[in-house]
Amino acid sequence: MGNSIFVRNRSVPIFIAVLALVALCVTFLSPAYGTGALSVSFTKVLGMTLCLCLAALAMDLVWGYCGILSLGHFAFFGLGGYMIGMWLMTARTEAVIRANLAESPIPPTEAEVSQATALQIFSVVGAEDWPWMWAVSDSLVLSLVMVVLVPGLLALVFGWLAFRSRVTGVYLSILTQAMTLALSLYLFQNDTGLRGNNGLSGLQNIPGAEAIGQERLSVWFFWASALALGLGYIGAAWLVSGKFGNILRGIRDDELRVRFLGYPVEVYKLVVFTLSAMICGVAGALYYPQAGIINPDEIAPIASIYLAVWVAIGGRGRLYGAVIGAAVVSLLSTYFTSGRAPDVDLGFYEISWIDWWPVLLGLGFVLVTLFAPRGLAGLFDYVVRRQDP
Amino acid sequence: MSTLLEVNGVSVSFDGFKAINNLSFAIGLPELRAVIGPNGAGKTTFMDIVTGKTRPDVGTVRWGEMGHSLLTKSEAQIAREGIGRKFQRPTVFEDQSVRDNLRVSLKKPRGPFSAMFDRVTEADHARIEEIAAEIGLSDQLDRKSGILSHGQKQWLEIGMLLAQDPRLLLVDEPAAGMTTDERNHTADLLKRLARSHAVVVVEHDMEFVRRLDCRVTVLHEGSVIAEGSLEHVMGIERVIEVYLGR
Amino acid sequence: MTRTALAALVGVFLALAAPLQAPAQSQPAADLQTLLQDNAELVADASRRTVQDILDILVDSQLPEVPQFLATWQDRELYQRNSDGLFVYVEDGDADPLTLIDISTGEVLGTAGSRDVTQLRPNRGVQGVIAATRVQFQLASDDPARRMAALDSIESDPEESHLALLQGLLDTETDPDLRARIEVILPALVIAFSDEDAPRVAAIESLSGNISLSARATLNPLLATRLELAEALPDGANIARELEPGSDALSREDAYEMLVEEGLAPPRVSRSDILSVLTANIVDGTVGGIPVAELNTEEARDRAYAALVAADLAPPAPSEADVTASLGSVVFFERYLEDSAAVTTAARETLDGIETRVGFYRFLDLSLDGISLASIYFLAAIGLAITFGVMGVINMAHGEFIMIGAYTGFVVQSLVPNETASLAIAIPLAFVVTFMAGVAMERLVIRWLYHRPLETLLATFGISIALQQIVRLVFGALTQPLTPPDWLAGSVTLNDVVSISSVRVAIFILAALFFVVLWLILNRTRLGLEVRAVTQNPAMAASMGINPDRINMLTFGLGSGIAGIAGVAIGLFAQVVPDMGTNYIVQSFMTVVVGGVGNIFGTLVGASMIGGLQKAIEWLNPTNTLAAQTYMILFVILFIQFRPRGIIALRGRAAGD
Repeated sequence: MGNSIFVRNRSVPIFIAVLALVALCVTFLSPAYGTGALSVSFTKVLGMTLCLCLAALAMDLVWGYCGILSLGHFAFFGLGGYMIGMWLMTARTEAVIRANLAESPIPPTEAEVSQATALQIFSVVGAEDWPWMWAVSDSLVLSLVMVVLVPGLLALVFGWLAFRSRVTGVYLSILTQAMTLALSLYLFQNDTGLRGNNGLSGLQNIPGAEAIGQERLSVWFFWASALALGLGYIGAAWLVSGKFGNILRGIRDDELRVRFLGYPVEVYKLVVFTLSAMICGVAGALYYPQAGIINPDEIAPIASIYLAVWVAIGGRGRLYGAVIGAAVVSLLSTYFTSGRAPDVDLGFYEISWIDWWPVLLGLGFVLVTLFAPRGLAGLFDYVVRRQDP
Repeated sequence: MSTLLEVNGVSVSFDGFKAINNLSFAIGLPELRAVIGPNGAGKTTFMDIVTGKTRPDVGTVRWGEMGHSLLTKSEAQIAREGIGRKFQRPTVFEDQSVRDNLRVSLKKPRGPFSAMFDRVTEADHARIEEIAAEIGLSDQLDRKSGILSHGQKQWLEIGMLLAQDPRLLLVDEPAAGMTTDERNHTADLLKRLARSHAVVVVEHDMEFVRRLDCRVTVLHEGSVIAEGSLEHVMGIERVIEVYLGR
Repeated sequence: MTRTALAALVGVFLALAAPLQAPAQSQPAADLQTLLQDNAELVADASRRTVQDILDILVDSQLPEVPQFLATWQDRELYQRNSDGLFVYVEDGDADPLTLIDISTGEVLGTAGSRDVTQLRPNRGVQGVIAATRVQFQLASDDPARRMAALDSIESDPEESHLALLQGLLDTETDPDLRARIEVILPALVIAFSDEDAPRVAAIESLSGNISLSARATLNPLLATRLELAEALPDGANIARELEPGSDALSREDAYEMLVEEGLAPPRVSRSDILSVLTANIVDGTVGGIPVAELNTEEARDRAYAALVAADLAPPAPSEADVTASLGSVVFFERYLEDSAAVTTAARETLDGIETRVGFYRFLDLSLDGISLASIYFLAAIGLAITFGVMGVINMAHGEFIMIGAYTGFVVQSLVPNETASLAIAIPLAFVVTFMAGVAMERLVIRWLYHRPLETLLATFGISIALQQIVRLVFGALTQPLTPPDWLAGSVTLNDVVSISSVRVAIFILAALFFVVLWLILNRTRLGLEVRAVTQNPAMAASMGINPDRINMLTFGLGSGIAGIAGVAIGLFAQVVPDMGTNYIVQSFMTVVVGGVGNIFGTLVGASMIGGLQKAIEWLNPTNTLAAQTYMILFVILFIQFRPRGIIALRGRAAGD
């Protein structure tokens, strides 16, 4: 009776091996440490894809295992990005300001540096003072804590309200969608302190790492993303492979039965919802330094729906399904919408992939829902079952 | 024998329809009790009230030697107090193995963090095997419970109830969908349980009730109209009226 | 009240106006051309100083063609023939040769080349004087529209002489609209040009209760103030209020700044002043004996500055105590620009009364806004109330049905140019188009997913993005116009405060109509009965001979079709773009959920609550509609906690326990 997670959940060793292999390949093809077959920007795309996979993994925990279809998970992802973005922007701007002020005949005071930094960051929204939410933006450690804490806290408060009044099913989905819409509208306002629709930008410039260069940074971030995904996968697998996972699936399939067995269903939902939000926060905090910019559009309800769709396409309730779904759909989307795909000339009409990809994607969702309710990963079952009847 | 559960003067109505009307009921430990009554007599609503699923408009529900109220408690808290319930339609976790179904039911701390760090001990293992033997599912332990027959699911749910080790068992139509042998086995099992537990069985099947050979409470339109041995209540004119119509 | 005040005014005027009346009437001249020829130089070389003479002559002549002559002259369309100095009109100033027209008879006099005539171009000053004279003529006109135009020009550019003119008109004018205008303009003139308090106060009081913008524009300037300071409050000055430095109305900094400007106190030395003084006094890497590198704290800089002051290299900075003492030595007050206290008091009281009434009308206007917003939410959500509320289908493509309806309207309008006709075609057509789209979607996708509601959500989301993109490919991503017919283009105006656009009124009526029709369909027809039967228990309904497939199809089609009609209505005031549906989808779901699923009455209540609430929040913080939406959504989220089943909750098994 092995209790090691690598033995209990057969997908874990395979997943870690595949992930390590991918990381190795990317390293050998990267511009900084290998042949250079991959461009810096594509390395970043791959790293960002891993972050999206991590968010999808978190989504699978709540939806695939616990049956809570959250249509607001990108709010947590975005919040994680905003939390680290505040530090990146503050530290970077402050460094620039210090360099500029070094020229002046009399050295600047700390208050002057802080004021000038604030002016530089907030003049775009017509403000010049630090908003309260930037209070810890000068500390990397505290900002990293916020990456986990803020999404977790939002999930905790929202979840506590929603679960205790027993809002379930589609009602909960609509409520989570309302939550993310409210958050994005809040962030869109210029006077709420996060630069309105300008968002936070220049996040790819890591303070103190200017000498390293984007070529190497892109690979480092890819590694960090892969590490986070690997750890997230192991943690999630550990969570769902034990009794906790049994109870989650019980809640998904028959909430009443779990309740009558004496389990506090609301607490379980709250724990998994909050954990999942925290994972999303981490994923977002790794994603946006690679993307370079974050703005309230990222949190718009549609992003969260896409996240749910990736999980559905990959296959719910099996962790690797979510990762496959997120990776396949987001990479395909990048491929077809970046103009890399060759257009198809039908003689009377030329199919431009940039135009037609959203149509195909949308119809693809419909087909997968109708004909492959277990998603792409469900195909593995099919293959496996044919091998050992 | 001391009183374990005492329901007193309870009424509940849905949109003006009185599902339970001034109902009083008590059961001691150990005791086996059958609750019978025609459709719509309020048997299921009665169980809903005891288990916290439905809040009564008036009345009290007292539990245990100390006689504290159950009305302010949630379903999960009531279950942890030691009241187990088997539903009319078998509800088991169909996506999970029989073993896992029993494992989550075992009497252990119910908090999420205990669940995360839970390990199946030797004692747990032995208990699962023991219950599986009792309910005749020893050879099905590692199969998904969704592929079990209707009767086997009933058994499994009874097994989950046993694993919870409650003091009071509320059993709604345990014999539905079972063969005669299985029914007899079920009746024997319930009688055996009743030596150390309080057991309330709701049943339509008079043969099954007769076999239980216990005190019977007759419900009609949300109230108790008779109580006593099966022979006794069947002799009461009002009960005959209710069952046969006027 | 107004009447008596006006009567008082009239009395005042008779005295005022008498000397302004023309003293004598001269004999009518034979003919306009002769008159002009007699004063040809005054006309041809008119200057601001001299033009009044010829104008007086023309007015005195009382010739009927004078108004047209003045208008033509003012518009620089009067010509003089070079050969004989004759004043003429021309038919078309751009033609060559020009057709000359007699200024009295209108007969064609012949043609002339552009070099043969001189165009008279009175300058701005002259034009102004002519315009003022024309006002007199216009006020005497028989055409009410011309009299109204004259009043407009008086109001925009009032002169003392207008007092008498208006006064005269008030006695004779019978048109109620014109009288109302005069009653507003006359007091404004009195207030502006009268020297005595009594008539001005009477004029102010005559405006009481008048909520028009011009009345408020007349009164507000009377209450303008100027911030001043003095050693003590001056006697006899008309003072609005005394201000305490450090209060909300006057900060200490601003107050001290005033003192400095008056030369009553030395200027404060700001941090940046200190910095520039220090910078200017760097000697060998030190300032006041302190090394420059150490000057990176405020405390060190203060020490260095103090050292400079001691060395007499910098002006001493006044201490906080000095500032307080200086501020204490004077009083700050706001003085009315208007010297008469009686006038300002009357203006204040009258304006307060007006503001109260305006406040009431603002509230009324806001309520209308709220109702209008609620109607829009209701329209957007009503289709969803059927597909989601009654059938339980999560249709994320609902917004796209609204969009398709709007585009149907656009296509019809580009084929049928008459807006009214195209609207009459578009509404039923939009229903048919979206009904069929809905039926197709139900048959192809949704019916396979009735037991998997969350997956319906994903599949319909896929349809939603596909539809959006297809429409984008066909019609382009740009906004397409959907023009309302003329009779819907204006607005219904009650007064200067309350007005609502006709489209919104139409949408309210449409929403009410939808509600009644749907309520009747669902509660009073066989179809409604079958719909309710199928949604509550499809198996039982089927056994009663109802075909659930057919009912589901029709119901979904009905909900979609209604979304299509709503799309036409929404397109009339919102932008028609491929992704317009996404603006409505989340709000619509919230409307249905808040109202209570399963009955359209709940949707009505939900829409009213959400619309009203959003307007109320906007009223509290009018600059920020985003914030209003944010707080509205937060409220909805909280509301659902306490009433998870909505305002109008169904109980029992129908609620899906």
